[in-house]
Amino acid sequence: MNLVQHIVFLVLTTAAAAATAAPFTPTDDTQVVETLPRRLTGSAAPQRALRAQLQRTPGDVTLAVRAAREAIARARLEGDPRELGAAQAALAPWWNDAHAPAAVRLLRATLRQSQHDFSAALADLQALLDDRSAAPALQAQAELTRAGVLQVLGRWAEAAAGCERLAGARYATLDANVRWAAQACGAELMSLRGQADAAESRLAALARDAEPGDAAWIALIRAELAERRGDARAQAHYRTALQARADVYTLAAYADWLLAARRARDVLPLLEGRDAADALLLRQAMAYRQLGDARAAAATAALRERFAAARARGDTLHQREEALFALHLEDDAAKALALARAQWAQQKEPADALLLVQAARAAKQEAAADPVRQFMRETGYADARLGLVAQRFAAGQP
Amino acid sequence: MRWLCSIALSIALSLAAASSHAHKASDAYWTVEVAGERLTQRLDIALRDLDREIAVDANEDGQLAWGEVRSRWPAIESLAAAGARVQADGRACTVTERGAPALDEHSDGRYAVMRQTLVCDGPVADLTLHYTLFAASDATHRGVVRLVRGDATHSAVLDPSAPAQRFGSDAAAPRTFFGFVGEGVHHILIGTDHILFLLALLLPAVLAVRRTPAPPASPGSALLDVLRIVTAFTVAHSITLALAVFEVISPPSRWIESVIAASVVLAALNNLRPVITRQRWVVTFAFGLVHGFGFAGALKDLGLAGGSLAAPLLGFNLGVELGQLAIVALFLPLAWALRSTVLYRRVLLQGGSVAVALVALVWLVERAFDLSLMA
Repeated sequence: MNLVQHIVFLVLTTAAAAATAAPFTPTDDTQVVETLPRRLTGSAAPQRALRAQLQRTPGDVTLAVRAAREAIARARLEGDPRELGAAQAALAPWWNDAHAPAAVRLLRATLRQSQHDFSAALADLQALLDDRSAAPALQAQAELTRAGVLQVLGRWAEAAAGCERLAGARYATLDANVRWAAQACGAELMSLRGQADAAESRLAALARDAEPGDAAWIALIRAELAERRGDARAQAHYRTALQARADVYTLAAYADWLLAARRARDVLPLLEGRDAADALLLRQAMAYRQLGDARAAAATAALRERFAAARARGDTLHQREEALFALHLEDDAAKALALARAQWAQQKEPADALLLVQAARAAKQEAAADPVRQFMRETGYADARLGLVAQRFAAGQP
Repeated sequence: MRWLCSIALSIALSLAAASSHAHKASDAYWTVEVAGERLTQRLDIALRDLDREIAVDANEDGQLAWGEVRSRWPAIESLAAAGARVQADGRACTVTERGAPALDEHSDGRYAVMRQTLVCDGPVADLTLHYTLFAASDATHRGVVRLVRGDATHSAVLDPSAPAQRFGSDAAAPRTFFGFVGEGVHHILIGTDHILFLLALLLPAVLAVRRTPAPPASPGSALLDVLRIVTAFTVAHSITLALAVFEVISPPSRWIESVIAASVVLAALNNLRPVITRQRWVVTFAFGLVHGFGFAGALKDLGLAGGSLAAPLLGFNLGVELGQLAIVALFLPLAWALRSTVLYRRVLLQGGSVAVALVALVWLVERAFDLSLMA
């Protein structure tokens, strides 16, 4: 950003901040003052009734687990972290209980993982897996959740071992979906660990017998794999995934693909009306900027305000988004690099590797990306977007 | 992170788009301003949180009309009153004014704004904020607090599961040892009366005999004189500072402040017409005792009540000594260099002492009679 842009920007953001400083009283009773989050799950009344019932009988595990599970399901659909807080509140009597019932443990692990308390999540899942009296169905879910956590942490060998156990004898009596999930779980890890071709043919086979809801998952894995290989078929897979469920994660991933292809014009209709999500407002702002659209300034100011509000509450869950913001919208490579490093220390997803490499390059500190190079050597991970090493997509093949 | 497949098990639960948090979790913004006996507070609660809790969306159309919000305002106010309570220690406060229903825009949507003024039966010192809003329905909800007291603003994040938080009379009080060292240095450097007392005592130290005109002193005797004075002052005020902080003796501050002013007047006058020339350290020690009570007042104002006293006391005292040493280190070489000049003898020693005596005399009258002459 040059000096003039800087000044214009400062004036705009200051004006935006000042504009929100004074409370107001609407004069018209029919004026709509707030749109509630998309109620994909219907009316809020049953939730209130359930909560009231729970407050009358706080020790009722069945009721508490039901309330927490419903809240987590809403969090997934609506992308609203408040629902995760509601789930935690429902589990409050057992939140610090070392001997919590198995069903509570599973939900608690999911919530702790969402708060990035990975070690506590893993401890809960391990305890559930070690509990021979726990229902195999719960354990199967725990195994899958654990593989997911380990994958996020970059502990891919352990994650793959979990997927293999899921396909094993212990869970053989369960639903066929468990075996399908075990294979999908294993195939995704293959796709990350340098066995791209083998992973792709497995995923293609799995896609054929997938239930409609699960097809979206497979399509997303295939889209991301294609993207890492620089294969244009990524777009078709992203579209398939989005048709099944347009959640925040998939929308952001597809928007990133479009932005990398310099197709910002296609990002705007994709994210229309979804700017409540920080990750999606961020992609909108990046698209405006790529197009030289004046709306970039307002979107950037809104994001800055949201990050400040998150920091004010002591929240550090937005590190990746903040790093992207610093890198692509604030042109502050040093800040982006610091955040990207902190993020890489916590999580090792493909997006985190890309972020660290790009931030290091922007900050002209190529060596800062060394941890990613090291990780690639250790795991066989490859990604055409990184431009780091000779491509090794054939690594898993003879 | 990604959502992982939901196996069609009864629990059908996956790694819920966990880190693609759409936005931040729920917060309410609470500002409390303290001015004497008056408390002004403002609490902003997100409309969507209110709807989840007490059903604001009467027609369930997913949109909140202002009429719907307005008709639920009494319920919103009682929810707020139960969830966010301010308690002024030892004071009874009553609500004297309530703001009209209003809204404000925050980074994640519209918030209901509740404003009220409370008047207490005396000046408010310590405050306790009780915060339990949404404790039963959202474990990640937080109250983002701003406490404003004069020029000082203190921020805190309240967790409804650990609801009561106490704020001392100076919310910006340091909490670490080095924080108290800093406060000690700060106090002596802005404490004009202590500095003037010290300077009035040090001005003649570079001259041999306390009569006018006095010949320059030898370096050794000047240094010894300074050392004796500074040591006497330090030992004396350390004793009374500790006695006052541990509440062994707590003389009324008006008398202490008046005697401190008097000590400055006398020290300055003694330079003009020396009465005490030998063993000035004894007099310094006596007045040092009074200055110690003055330091204790400043330390107590930082809000020590209740907590551990030893570390703050040590830190603050160390800070005072460091500040005092800095003054001596600046003053002494200058005085030494200038000691034979007319400038030093006439202007600085004589004129300076007259000026110091006059200023301190004004303080003395102000403090003793509770007047304001140099406002």
